[in-house]
Amino acid sequence: MRLVKAILLRLLFGAFSLVFISFVTFVAGEFSPGDPATILGGEKASIETVQQIRHNLGLDQPWPTRYCRYVGHAVQGDFGVSYYSTHEPVKDILKRTVPMTVKFASQAIVLASAIGIFFGAIAAVYQRRFADSAILTLSTLGVTTPNFVLAPILVYIFCQRLDQLPNSWATTLVAPEFYYFILPVTILAARPAALITRLTRASMIDTLDQEFIRTATAKGVPRGRLLFRHALRNAILPVITTIGTSFGFLLTGSFVLERYFLMPGLGSTVIEAIQQIDMPVVQAGVLVTGAMFIFLNLIVDILLPILDPRIRESQI
Amino acid sequence: MRVGVKRKTDFLYLFGMGFLALLVLLAVFGPTVRNVMVKPADQPNFYSVYDPVGVPHLEPGGKYILGTDEQGRDVFSRLAAGARVSLTVGLIVEVIALSVGVLVGVLGVYAPKWFSMILMRFTDGMFAFPDILLAVLIIGTMPPRKEGGLIGKLLPVIVALSVTSWPSIARLVKGQVATLKDREFVIGAKASGASTFYLVTRHILPQLTGILLAVSMIDIAGTILAESTLSFLGIGVQPPEASWGSMINSARQDMSSHPVALVWPCVVLSLTVFSLNFVGDGLRAAFDPKGK
Repeated sequence: MRLVKAILLRLLFGAFSLVFISFVTFVAGEFSPGDPATILGGEKASIETVQQIRHNLGLDQPWPTRYCRYVGHAVQGDFGVSYYSTHEPVKDILKRTVPMTVKFASQAIVLASAIGIFFGAIAAVYQRRFADSAILTLSTLGVTTPNFVLAPILVYIFCQRLDQLPNSWATTLVAPEFYYFILPVTILAARPAALITRLTRASMIDTLDQEFIRTATAKGVPRGRLLFRHALRNAILPVITTIGTSFGFLLTGSFVLERYFLMPGLGSTVIEAIQQIDMPVVQAGVLVTGAMFIFLNLIVDILLPILDPRIRESQI
Repeated sequence: MRVGVKRKTDFLYLFGMGFLALLVLLAVFGPTVRNVMVKPADQPNFYSVYDPVGVPHLEPGGKYILGTDEQGRDVFSRLAAGARVSLTVGLIVEVIALSVGVLVGVLGVYAPKWFSMILMRFTDGMFAFPDILLAVLIIGTMPPRKEGGLIGKLLPVIVALSVTSWPSIARLVKGQVATLKDREFVIGAKASGASTFYLVTRHILPQLTGILLAVSMIDIAGTILAESTLSFLGIGVQPPEASWGSMINSARQDMSSHPVALVWPCVVLSLTVFSLNFVGDGLRAAFDPKGK
């Protein structure tokens, strides 16, 4: 029963977060430079036309009405039209760019989890020995090196020197899409991989110290089985939370790397929109990515007590 | 203050301190001194950070120590100006974040229940937002400025990064204050008639200086990194002002012909971020009672 209550509370907080970010993006729209009606009317529009557009958009209403209208439309997937040249509906822009970014980020998080859990476990098993300190040093570098510093280094090595990988999406793709993803995904995965490594190491060291491991050792469980079946399975659970929060770093990274590799994703679109003061695109981009972040963390938080009885106990 | 228990931490801490000291000198005096050094005699209004001194893409060495960039500007001047930008943004943002964070954290414990509830839920709400999104949104509402002094030009970036960096400090302070509140010395002071304001400013906050100093170093590193990221994306510090991020962005476009130009801003930015992290870790080790 209490588990249900905890989940309901978490859902409530998720809903609160969604309202919070929709309100913040709405306020940002209110404060943005330029009047939507004037921009949409075009340069030659008469005052009447502008007034008409303003009325149609509901801009002559008080702000609470406009906020409700904004949320109502957003729920239906209607984010207005881009201010820029073609007045393309923002919905179509999202449909074109979101899948790319989701694909990019999810490949990176899978890679980062695999690398992080593997090396974190190794570092914990060989604690205070060479492998451990090497992995720790590398992970410190991974956490602190910005990806726009890592990117040119890898591009220099793999694209310019070795000439093995494509360095941008600008031209029509000549190889399978996979090859174009290799470099950006690796660079995007670096920081979360380093974080997951450190966390897995800490969690694994804690687990290896516990009594059930000593019991299992005494019982004569083979070492490989002991480490992977007994220890790692327990150590991995706190890591799952990080995977949810890492999505934030992935977003930052995808903004940078989509620009760097000229990938047609949401990140590069939002940055372009800011430079053109195209507020509907910025708002929608932020709202959609923010909502994805909230949902991902919600799923992780609900899944965790179901997977891990210890957390279930502590919540009760 | 004695620092560190392990020799390795000590070395990295000293290295970080040394590098940061050099960086501060570079930021304060670099652009001005360098301008006098490379200024052509016939141009009185010349400023070496903005104006070209010669041929683009000069190799490092000679009069222009690190060569010239794609517009023929002195790279060393621009690196120094970038240091000024990064440290200014880092320090101002940290001061704002610390003030707001400490205030919210303390109020989260000592304010009336309903008010502290609202404050802490609001703080939680800020965590529901990935930092970069909020920063991007705020910058979207503020058109880039090309006039005004350095701080005026940096204002959108400073506002955006201040708004995103106080919540983690608020959370940390709230947790610490909540534990300290029930310690004997605080209860004792309270029993002898100290006011809440006196308790907080004289007994509780002084206990937090160490950890806040350590956390600040690591936060400043994050802020400098975020500023470079925004400038790299072209929505941070606007040209002709120099920032390491925008220098990296313009240098990478000529990477195939002039890879060396990319090295300087990357190295300085990485070393700055490393140093701040080393110093932060060193301070944390020094102040953490468990470490001694």
